[in-house]
Amino acid sequence: MISHRLLLLCMLPMLWCCDGLPGKPDPANRYIRPTEVTNFDTLYSMNCSGCHGAEGKLGPAVPLADPMYLALASPIHIEEITRNGVAGTTMPAFAIEAGGTLTDQQIAIIARGLSTRWGQPQSAEVVAAAPPLAVSQEGPPGDPERGAAHFRTFCGSCHGPEGRGTARAGSIVEPPYLGLVSNQNLRTNTIIGRRDLGMPDWRQVGDRPMRPQEVTDIVAWLASQRVPRPSSSMAN
Amino acid sequence: MKIFASIYQWLDDRLALGRLYDQSIGHRIPASASSWFYVFGSATLACLAIQLVTGTCLALVYVPSPEFAYASIEYLDYTQPFGWLLRGLHFWGSNFMVALVTIHMIQVFLFGAYKYPRELTWVVGSTLFLCVIAMAFTGQGLRFDQDGYWGLEIVMSILGRIPFVGMEATHLVQGSPIISGATLSRFFTIHVFVVPAVIISLLVIHIRLVLLMGISEYPVAGKKIDPETYREDYEKLVERTGERLMPEGGGKDLVFTALILTAIVTCAVVIGPKIPNGPADPSLIHTVPRPDFYFLSLFAVFALMPPYMESFSIVYLLPLSIVILFAVPFISRGQERHWSKRPGAIITVVLVMTSLVILAYEGLTSPWSPHMNAWSGVPIQPQFVQGRTPLEHVGATIVQGKQCRNCHSIDGTGGKRGPDLSGVATRLTYNQLVRQVLQGDGNMPAFGRHLSPYEVTALVSFLHTLHPENEPPSQNSAPEAAPPLSTDPY
Ligand code: HEC
Ligand code: HEC
Ligand code: HEC
Repeated sequence: MISHRLLLLCMLPMLWCCDGLPGKPDPANRYIRPTEVTNFDTLYSMNCSGCHGAEGKLGPAVPLADPMYLALASPIHIEEITRNGVAGTTMPAFAIEAGGTLTDQQIAIIARGLSTRWGQPQSAEVVAAAPPLAVSQEGPPGDPERGAAHFRTFCGSCHGPEGRGTARAGSIVEPPYLGLVSNQNLRTNTIIGRRDLGMPDWRQVGDRPMRPQEVTDIVAWLASQRVPRPSSSMAN
Repeated sequence: MKIFASIYQWLDDRLALGRLYDQSIGHRIPASASSWFYVFGSATLACLAIQLVTGTCLALVYVPSPEFAYASIEYLDYTQPFGWLLRGLHFWGSNFMVALVTIHMIQVFLFGAYKYPRELTWVVGSTLFLCVIAMAFTGQGLRFDQDGYWGLEIVMSILGRIPFVGMEATHLVQGSPIISGATLSRFFTIHVFVVPAVIISLLVIHIRLVLLMGISEYPVAGKKIDPETYREDYEKLVERTGERLMPEGGGKDLVFTALILTAIVTCAVVIGPKIPNGPADPSLIHTVPRPDFYFLSLFAVFALMPPYMESFSIVYLLPLSIVILFAVPFISRGQERHWSKRPGAIITVVLVMTSLVILAYEGLTSPWSPHMNAWSGVPIQPQFVQGRTPLEHVGATIVQGKQCRNCHSIDGTGGKRGPDLSGVATRLTYNQLVRQVLQGDGNMPAFGRHLSPYEVTALVSFLHTLHPENEPPSQNSAPEAAPPLSTDPY
């Protein structure tokens, strides 16, 4: 009888410390609905890293972690594109209304989080003198003929005078390429380059920084070489 | 003390307790039956007791409705004091029960204990086995998380393949054309009322049969069963060497049962219950569901089998194996009980168990469902981006954007339904790649309708770069129609 009571007494504290037992589920591991995730790193790696690279660079699409890109692109620009995607390209629309999976709040977290995570302060002068990043702010329309000349000056050394590619960098005038990228993409690449892949930004691409109008002209020249998109798919 | 004795006498007079004891746990068994090999049945019974107790407690909290089922599981896990422990005990109890009942069957099979006169004990036992599986299955369905939901989906699609009545059968089980609240209510009723009632009734018969026929003596090689004399011999054996099941013969059962109970409690306390992985909502496809371990092999069969075999095996193989299970005592009628004289029995067990283990392993590692968010969440590794042209970069984003990655890994990461694409250019020429993408093949859907010609060009020029540096891409032996195009006007 005595031993029974002793046993019970011993068990009481055990019951108390049960709460600290290893098997007790940790609320931190609780399943969170994808729409309730608010952690930038999780959101970025689940939704964007596939194309934009694990660390925001060295992916096939625009290196979103490029500090200069983050200095020039407004969060509104990034949010807009993330929400609605880029028509005619593989950049998908992520907003739920547009058929995606992210809430407005999550899109804002990503857009702001990019700068917090990867942005670096840039000198105000450089940013002020930089060509505007968004196509919508590019000013007077570009002139393809002047663009061809600027292209030879600034870009020819790597992409070839006609843009057909050299050993240093590939062609950017093939119709399939031009047919699958937006002017915004061409403009973004022309301005910030692909520093992760060895293409400098507008300041270092030639002997002097490119002027905003030169950027616009080059993009106009590239865009002028688009062949109207074949409409039917290949299945026939 | 005297008063206890008289109370006992009073009760015994009315309830015949002494006789009950003599005929049940006090009945005499052959001494050879008190063996470490004979402990699995009673341990399974102990698991059943745990399941009944913990299950009843869980049912006090659990709400069998689609809105609240998942929430009530989370309530148990995080809010209700010791709710998690209850869930843990119930979860591990079921795992142990499935394992033990299987071992029990293997033991009975290898020891030839199902032979004359215990054929019916085997048949009832096999039904019990199926009931335990049914409990495990309906139980994981009650969790109503993505694993459970997905398990339901698979079983429903299995049911749906039954010829002629497939639709009706699924409808009957689901309670509606789709998996819904009605399905959950049915599973709850089946799990809480129907199957337990069946189990308890069958168990009564099973144990009654065990008592009636006596526990089989430890088999002796070369000793044959002769239906003419078996019973007589058995009775003599019991008379000669017999001992009471309790307290003498069953000591090993008690020890083993105590071990199992300790193991269950330890698992529940240390590992804990299975944390539900997200509410069962078909629109949430962000996890890769896996059923509980005992279904892994079953599901692996269906995941790995070519589609044309699936229906065949569902319609014939599955029912056939159940029939064979029941028919064991009637098929294997040899008079030998000892396994050393029954190589067939050993081979059968080894074959069945290895294939189950291999299948379970496949089930654990094989990608039967695509990796649903690989397209946006699994990066194209830098080595496949560097040194590629802009067009190839666009092609890489198409591999992602068109969700090829959900089925295909590249250098090991991504879905695993199709082959890894990192060396695909060494296997297929440019034109073969085009054809593969446009027309699909086997389990790969045709993308012809979903890709514009530009996209095909970009995509395939990227795929064409996927080869190790020291191994050139596969060349067209005879140049086919469309060569790699750069300025093709379409
Ligand atoms: C399936 C591949 C893919 C995924 C996934 C993807 N992107 Fe993109 N993204 C692209 C491509 C391709 C472009 C270039 C589109 C174009 O031609 O303008 C792009 C462009 C962008 C741009 C515009 C860059 C500019 O020119 O200013 C932003 C911003 C962007 N993506 C953000 C995101 C964010 C944020 C996510 C994750 C929520 C994401 N992307 C996920 C492929 C992807
Ligand atoms: C120092 C060499 C160099 C110069 C100069 C250069 N580029 Fe590039 N460019 C690259 C490299 C490297 C890439 C990465 C793709 C590749 O290797 O083909 C690239 C890629 C691009 C891309 C595609 C981006 C992508 O994701 O693949 C565009 C568009 C582009 N360059 C435009 C230009 C324009 C416009 C200029 C002139 C203003 C220019 N480049 C000057 C090296 C250069
Ligand atoms: C539903 C899953 C699935 C999707 C999505 C998918 N594939 Fe496949 N793919 C497969 C399977 C399975 C095979 C193996 C086909 C077979 O042998 O029957 C395969 C084979 C291939 C092969 C041949 C590989 C080899 O080594 O022989 C290529 C190339 C390929 N797929 C490319 C793609 C591309 C590009 C996409 C996206 C446009 C894609 N796949 C999308 C499942 C898929």
